[in-house]
Amino acid sequence: MITVIKKMIGGVPVPGKKELSEKSPIEFAGIPGELVLFMSQHIGAPSVASVKPKDQVKRGQIIAEPGGFVSAALHAPTSGVIKAIEPRYHPVLARMSEAIVLEPDGKHEPAENMSPTASDLDGILPEQIRKLAREAGIVGLGGAAFPTSVKLAPPEDKHIDTYLLNGSECEPYLTADHRVMLEQADKVLFGFRALMKASGVKRGIMCIEDNKPDAIEAIKQAMSSYDGLELAVLSARYPRGGEKQLVHAVLGREVPPPPGLPYDVGVLVSNVGTAYALAEAILTGLPLVERVVTVTGEGVAKPSNFKALLGTPLSYLIERAGGFTGTPGKVILGGPMMGRALKSIDVPVLKGTSGILVLTKEQAVEEPILPCVKCGKCIDACPMGLQPLWISAHAERGLMEEAESFRAMDCIECGCCSYICPAKRPLVQWIKMAKADITSRRKAQR
Amino acid sequence: MEDRLLVTPAPHMKSTKTVQGLMLDVVIALLPAAIAGTILFGFRSLLVILASVASAVASEAIYQKAVKRPVSINDFSAVITGLLLALTLPPDVPVWIPVIGSAFAIVIAKQVFGGLGYNFVNPALAARAFLIAAWPLHMTRDWLNPMTYEALSSATPLVGFNATGQAGLTLTQMLLGQRPGSIGETCILALLLGGLYLIVRDVIDYRIPLGYLGTLALGTWIFGKPGALFQGGALSGVFLGGAFIGAFFMATDYVTSPVTQRGRLYMGIGAGLITLVIRLWGGYPEGVTYAILFMNLVTPLIDNYVIPRYYGSGHDAKARKAAGGETR
Amino acid sequence: MNKNKASLGYDFIKGFIQENPTFSLAVGMCPTLAVTTSLVNGFWMGVAVIFVLTFSNVFVSLLRKVIPDEIRIPVFIILIATPVVIVELVMKAYMPAMYNILGIFVPLIVVNCIIFHRAEAFAYRNPVLNSAMDALGSGMAFTLNLMLIGGIREFLGTGQIAFGSAVFPKVPLFEPAAVMLTPPGGFITLGALMALLNIAVARASKRKKSESQVG
Repeated sequence: MITVIKKMIGGVPVPGKKELSEKSPIEFAGIPGELVLFMSQHIGAPSVASVKPKDQVKRGQIIAEPGGFVSAALHAPTSGVIKAIEPRYHPVLARMSEAIVLEPDGKHEPAENMSPTASDLDGILPEQIRKLAREAGIVGLGGAAFPTSVKLAPPEDKHIDTYLLNGSECEPYLTADHRVMLEQADKVLFGFRALMKASGVKRGIMCIEDNKPDAIEAIKQAMSSYDGLELAVLSARYPRGGEKQLVHAVLGREVPPPPGLPYDVGVLVSNVGTAYALAEAILTGLPLVERVVTVTGEGVAKPSNFKALLGTPLSYLIERAGGFTGTPGKVILGGPMMGRALKSIDVPVLKGTSGILVLTKEQAVEEPILPCVKCGKCIDACPMGLQPLWISAHAERGLMEEAESFRAMDCIECGCCSYICPAKRPLVQWIKMAKADITSRRKAQR
Repeated sequence: MEDRLLVTPAPHMKSTKTVQGLMLDVVIALLPAAIAGTILFGFRSLLVILASVASAVASEAIYQKAVKRPVSINDFSAVITGLLLALTLPPDVPVWIPVIGSAFAIVIAKQVFGGLGYNFVNPALAARAFLIAAWPLHMTRDWLNPMTYEALSSATPLVGFNATGQAGLTLTQMLLGQRPGSIGETCILALLLGGLYLIVRDVIDYRIPLGYLGTLALGTWIFGKPGALFQGGALSGVFLGGAFIGAFFMATDYVTSPVTQRGRLYMGIGAGLITLVIRLWGGYPEGVTYAILFMNLVTPLIDNYVIPRYYGSGHDAKARKAAGGETR
Repeated sequence: MNKNKASLGYDFIKGFIQENPTFSLAVGMCPTLAVTTSLVNGFWMGVAVIFVLTFSNVFVSLLRKVIPDEIRIPVFIILIATPVVIVELVMKAYMPAMYNILGIFVPLIVVNCIIFHRAEAFAYRNPVLNSAMDALGSGMAFTLNLMLIGGIREFLGTGQIAFGSAVFPKVPLFEPAAVMLTPPGGFITLGALMALLNIAVARASKRKKSESQVG
């Protein structure tokens, strides 16, 4: 019997809501009439287009080069014609942003140069894996979309001893990682071992929340044939999958305060989806042109897990999931805790899009904000050990130095404080504002 | 259609806890004590309770109307204040005492400072302190004997206990509340029932009652018997007087107690110590009111100094050590 | 000339609202809280302050050109102490009962903030007549304040108000609240009156603003 790790500072028990979509196998969503591929869908410099309008492209063909060291390449998800390169509304940046618009021809014709690099990890060198990750445009698929090739090459002075593969998927509703682990356990582990090999790490730990017993079973079975891989089962509690929380729970190490990163305590953390994408790239040569997206919520008729081409409009995916039930109240890109509410569903799937959540009119109500009663529940809930009530109180009054002295910059924006607040105060929102203000002031000082 | 989509910042899921719900839980938790008080001290005490609650709610509504603020009587906080005040009054007080007391609690102690969330002392206790200072005879003499409803001619058991260390009551009598005292303070079982309900429902932090009653019991055991150490009646010390209702319902008031878990423990211990000192060496027979009021005033100080351990603080401590113990 | 007259009037009147010593400047708190247990006490305390204030304001103003700046505070103290001693001796001689009630607070007028405040902030830089008007205004406002606080506290704290031997009403209408005669009662009364004056001033200025916008 595997012991369940419960260690965590704060956190909140959230209703999982996974049952809506966790039983739906991953299906290919299909080819929509138009794909929109933003130059900025990862952390770092925007990509630089290497095609022109009217160019014919094939599936997997590169259409944009990385725009710097911390950047990623873009590939055509299907065959077709480049219709335009023009600004479109970016759902995460919340402004117009340059994008390549691709009109599929429906043939789904693969590019000629797309071929497997290796069939097992013995035939491939660490540098080759890193190069491949860069060429295939692979970024962290957990949501932050940090270029994987950069993560795999930490600074020389950091001694990395452990690699964590994050399959906790603690956001309610989302089941994309769950289905990937269940259906593609072998490929996930192959990708995981590739990540370990590329970064020269010997110890790898798979981390899964205990609310996914079938995925745990599948991974356990696939794991039995490899040495050096361990399984960590964690109690379901939000934000279990925050990388700082994961490092603390599994290894008992605390990542230093910002700008500290997990590699400062000898750990790298990647998402299950990232490992799967890397495995695909090595085994079939297919770059990152599609990802698993959960389309769920009480507001869609048939909650599903789709393998969607990057750039597919959300409206298309929602249609494929049986459309809305009644009038939708809120459409969220990502999960309910950290996702972003959208004003329009005519925006595309990005590399970092793990789910689309549709809430009904009844669920999407704005509750009145009451004065803070100082119950302290946000302090008990904060996984970083902060005092959200004071940070937000200062931020609300524009006292950003005070907010900073209460460690506003440590906030991981998980939203536990806003979730638990009985007065329904938008605590994390105020803290985000404080962080933005402090960051811009620090930049100005430099 | 699409412009009708609601766009609000994350998180898009909120817990079912509301201020109103938490307050309602406190009202529910106080009901056993109110019922016990009515049974023990008769219909009069029910009248006192109703007058107090009505006055509190009415004062809140009238004041908020007068200063053109939204009327917030449906958050139950005024009901709690009225109920709490009534439960700490002697059962035979004239009915105008709770009426004036509740009005004072709501208007002077709570609303003029900005209403719920901004008051710096517990309104019910502030009102109780005001009433003691204003009409001391009513507040210290209007006791009734339980069940017989006859006026009490002698002092309450706590006075004797403080002087001699002898409670003169059986444990059962103390648990059931069969002693003269304030309406809601005597029935320990009813208070315990309500208090545990609040702890189980995660409304209050167990640390405040634990620290309070623990300190008081320990201190009473050590010093409670005049002329001898370690022979005092620890249980009688917490069961007599108002320590139980104070520890579970007064000191745990969100607004006027510390926001951190450790701070709440300190608040409980501090209130316990002050209660002990006032009872054994002070001029008043009971010190719960002043002990909690004092800790209310110290709460901002506690919140200033008691800071939860933040994630990653070990690295900062190490870095400071490495820098030669120099602190910024 | 005209302007001076207008400002004489203003110097008198401003002590009642804008520069009300008790409720808007919050000076002279010691006697305000300590002796206002009855209306009569408040009245006599106020009279003493009026006398001292007028005396000191007039002399500070007269001598303002010859007082060296560096040692003006000691000089003020001498100018204030003189009338205080006069008041003390007169009270002791002609109304010993009241002198016993007011007690230490009569000699303490020497360090009363109102006196110092008016000397430093007004009399030291204004002509004699203006300073006298200022002293009378501030002093009378102070007296009214003390009588108001004292009256409220006496009425709530004893159920009656006494004018010498005459008591009204003969029998208390309600059970008096002893707390009103104690310092907390003083603070509560003071706070409530201060709040009311602030509300009144805020409402008045709001009305003025909306009127001027209309005009």
